[in-house]
Amino acid sequence: MKGTLVLAWVVARKDLQVELRTRERLAAMGAFVVLTALLFNYAVDRTVVHPGSIAAGLIWMTLILAGLLGLGRTFELEKEDGAFQGLLAAPLPREALYLGKVLSNAVLLAIVTALTVLVFAFFYQVVLPRNPLPLIGVLLLGVTGFSALGTLFSGITAGTRMGETLLPVLLFPLLVPLVMFGASATASLLGGFPASEIFGTLRILGAFTLIALAAGVTLFRFIVEE
Amino acid sequence: MSLGFVKWGALVLGLAGLALTVLFHWQVFFWVPTEASMGIVQRIFYIHLPAAWVAFFAFGIVAICSAVYLWLGIEKLDHAAQAAAEGGMIFTTIVLTSGPLWAKLAWGTWWTWEPRLTLTLLLWFIYLGYFMVRNSTDVPEKGKKFAAVVGIVGALNIPLIHLSVLWFRSLHPQPVVARTDGPQLHPDMLTTVLTALAAWTLVFLSLYLLRYGTARLEAAADRAVAATRSPAPVREGVAP
Repeated sequence: MKGTLVLAWVVARKDLQVELRTRERLAAMGAFVVLTALLFNYAVDRTVVHPGSIAAGLIWMTLILAGLLGLGRTFELEKEDGAFQGLLAAPLPREALYLGKVLSNAVLLAIVTALTVLVFAFFYQVVLPRNPLPLIGVLLLGVTGFSALGTLFSGITAGTRMGETLLPVLLFPLLVPLVMFGASATASLLGGFPASEIFGTLRILGAFTLIALAAGVTLFRFIVEE
Repeated sequence: MSLGFVKWGALVLGLAGLALTVLFHWQVFFWVPTEASMGIVQRIFYIHLPAAWVAFFAFGIVAICSAVYLWLGIEKLDHAAQAAAEGGMIFTTIVLTSGPLWAKLAWGTWWTWEPRLTLTLLLWFIYLGYFMVRNSTDVPEKGKKFAAVVGIVGALNIPLIHLSVLWFRSLHPQPVVARTDGPQLHPDMLTTVLTALAAWTLVFLSLYLLRYGTARLEAAADRAVAATRSPAPVREGVAP
């Protein structure tokens, strides 16, 4: 178990190192969230709806779409020169490969999430709570759950002819609990409610993340088998 | 299961299902009393509710067959999961068309974000993903494994999706048949809904067996074609 986690970290570190040097995904996802936040300004009639009051929902939708953008590239790196075959041939349990990919996706998405929240605070005068820890907790759980499910499905779509276009069809129906509880907890926290209000929601988000991780760890080996 | 058994089973179940379908339509249109508050439109319920039960039953088969298929790698189980998914998709579509028709008259709107409605729509999309994944790989074996993973993860998520859609206040009628204190229905209505349930279940099982049999024949045909295309390797060192 400990060995698996160490190896997962090795996989994640490799991905993050590549990302640190090229900064391709972060640049694309970062630009995406800023521009999406900008477009929301024109999509919503500001005389009728104050964007600040629906900020939680907009933040979550932005995150999901930005996350989708990043997920599509999960196995892109290894497509060249048969690198994925090399990764499969490496003395590396499939679980470690999966967890490493989840971790690198989650780290990237967490950075983008921080940017998203700041962009919304900047553009739409969303007041961030005085104690940011509960909000960080909700968003991190959401990011982890999304990456856990998304990495599994991006492994599937990478092996199909349709590729990334198939990803939302598979992923979105299953994201309902995440969006619903994530957005409602975020709305409570941005609305100034105390953290004790969202304990129940946090538990369900936690359950979602655990189920997604367990399913991914168990099933990932079947989708990368040759 | 031998294919002969599958064929005869499908035929017998199909005929029984057809007979019961005719019977429950007669009950729905001519026999069962009209519900007091909703009036004539409530009769859609006899088609709607059993279809929903069968749709979820089918999804259970998909999940179990998919899991055991991945575990043991028996190809027949993949055929079984695929057949259940196709049947499930038909019945989910019946639920999703009969529901709004009824809702428009009973609630005054085609669609509400009502828990069971939403859940059924999401189920339909999970089935859709199952088929799209299955048919979009170059190697069929891969598509089968991918689809099995989608089926299992979908089934694992169903309880959580159900929980989250329940969070919204429900407009849907409370359960009237599957209750802990016994069904709260006029006895004739209960008879009708149970007849309909038996009819849909038999029709589903018949379609299921038929589809399962066809899937196996398809696989056998594919194997036969593959065998003719790549002739047996010539043994070396043997004079012709």
